[in-house]
Amino acid sequence: MSPIEPGAAAKLRLSHVGKKFQPGGAAPTIAVDDFTLDIAQGEFLVIVGPSGCGKTTVLNMLAGLDHPSEGSVALDGREITGPGPARGVMFQDYALFPWQTVRGNIGFGLKHGAAGNGLSSEARARRVQDCIDLVGLNGAEDKYPHQLSGGMRQRVALARLVANEPEVLLMDEPLAALDAQTRLILQDELLRIWGQDRPPHARRTAVFITHAIDEAVFLADRIAVMTTRPGRLKALIDVPLPRPRNDATRASSEFQGLSQHIWSLIRDEAYRATVT
Amino acid sequence: MNGAARRMRHGGWRVNGAAVRAARGLALPVALLVLWQVWGTALHNVRMPVPTHVVTAAIDLVGSGELPLAILQSLSRVFMGFAVAAVIGVPLGLLMGSFASVERNVDPLVESFRPIAAIAILPLAILWLGTGTSAAVMIVAYAAFFPIVINTVAGAKGVNATLLRAAATMGLPRLRTIRTVVVPAALPAIGVGLRIAMGVAWTAIVAAELAVGAKAGGGGSGGIGQMMFVFYAYSIELNRIIVCMIAVGLVALVLDRLLRAAMRLSMPWTAS
Repeated sequence: MSPIEPGAAAKLRLSHVGKKFQPGGAAPTIAVDDFTLDIAQGEFLVIVGPSGCGKTTVLNMLAGLDHPSEGSVALDGREITGPGPARGVMFQDYALFPWQTVRGNIGFGLKHGAAGNGLSSEARARRVQDCIDLVGLNGAEDKYPHQLSGGMRQRVALARLVANEPEVLLMDEPLAALDAQTRLILQDELLRIWGQDRPPHARRTAVFITHAIDEAVFLADRIAVMTTRPGRLKALIDVPLPRPRNDATRASSEFQGLSQHIWSLIRDEAYRATVT
Repeated sequence: MNGAARRMRHGGWRVNGAAVRAARGLALPVALLVLWQVWGTALHNVRMPVPTHVVTAAIDLVGSGELPLAILQSLSRVFMGFAVAAVIGVPLGLLMGSFASVERNVDPLVESFRPIAAIAILPLAILWLGTGTSAAVMIVAYAAFFPIVINTVAGAKGVNATLLRAAATMGLPRLRTIRTVVVPAALPAIGVGLRIAMGVAWTAIVAAELAVGAKAGGGGSGGIGQMMFVFYAYSIELNRIIVCMIAVGLVALVLDRLLRAAMRLSMPWTAS
């Protein structure tokens, strides 16, 4: 089954999106070129590609933090012109507020942003506590980010994203800085938070950037493979592994086969990226 | 020799080492004081202050309550002027640092006033506000304003851009972002600005009170600067002027330490 039902309206739509950067009169760099992609409601889309292929630029345009030079980006058919609380972002460098405790960081959007509108302070506190439980940060609620390990900071960032209950989760290499074990554990938790135990229509929509191929295969409904300079969409690969996925998925031959296939697609690009 | 004895001897050396270092550190100041005392006495000139007379003068001035009163008067002006400068300078600096359009319009104005010394606006202050406290407060506020605004702008501009983006993706309006992200992120820079401003406020208050004292004929509204003016222009007591100088330095030092402690307490996340 293809994750996109024929005729279903896309949750996110990138139409012929191009992005040029022209720093101070220098020759323009084409970061993204003619990128067209529909992402369905409830889909988990993973973008892979070598460093500098424009993955982050695509994500930032979906977030409304960057604006396309050509083409358009839309959410539910409406053009995205800026950031908004319906699209939550998890940044590569965590972007935690150093002056807020774990609890303060997770509740920040509820307290100051749009996510807490209409919620009583008790309801907010309860949701923050739920998110702390969800990512297993109990006991660290009153610590500041600088007192936490990388893995714990990542959990805080994830909990903050979830606490705001955005319709779309945009994640930029969120697990890149973690050790291998923590990474596997957070992959499992990420799928649970996204809603892999729920029916597809009750899931959030997720766009996830990584350059770890096994991570992409484990998480994704579809994988978008990008090429470097200019960043183009090279291939779209369905990942038909059944959900819920778990350690058995990682051990399966289908999982291995898909990982091999994707590696063969990006190998040349990846080699080129290491020598240039 | 057994181990305990060796340790004691070693410990003894360490105490001696510390004493030697302390003595070395004090050697120069003490030598200068002695030189000042000997030379000043040898001059046989009543205009020449010497350390022993300064100490006697300090005891007199503190004992009579004159010096504490003058310091309190100056202190209240410093606080008022400092508060005015902070209340205007911090929000203005935050707006300038956060909105390029505000900075474009306000920065040339700030920068063209900045080279004008606080004391240079004294004629206007006296003509508008008289020789009382208000003129002194205005001078202090003017002087303290610039370090506060300039450091706040730098702090607001230096905020990690990803934090601002994170706030934007959570749907925070711009002004709310300034309050909840820019202010805490800029707090260390604002603190530096406030500390510099406090020092500048003291230089300004002494200058202002000296000048107001001159205008008011020594009869004005008190304060450490006017006290110095009286010692200078009427009673000609140089030892007492030295006492006033030392008093200003000590009070400013205490205030700086208090400000530093307050900044530390207001930023518990930086304690490591």
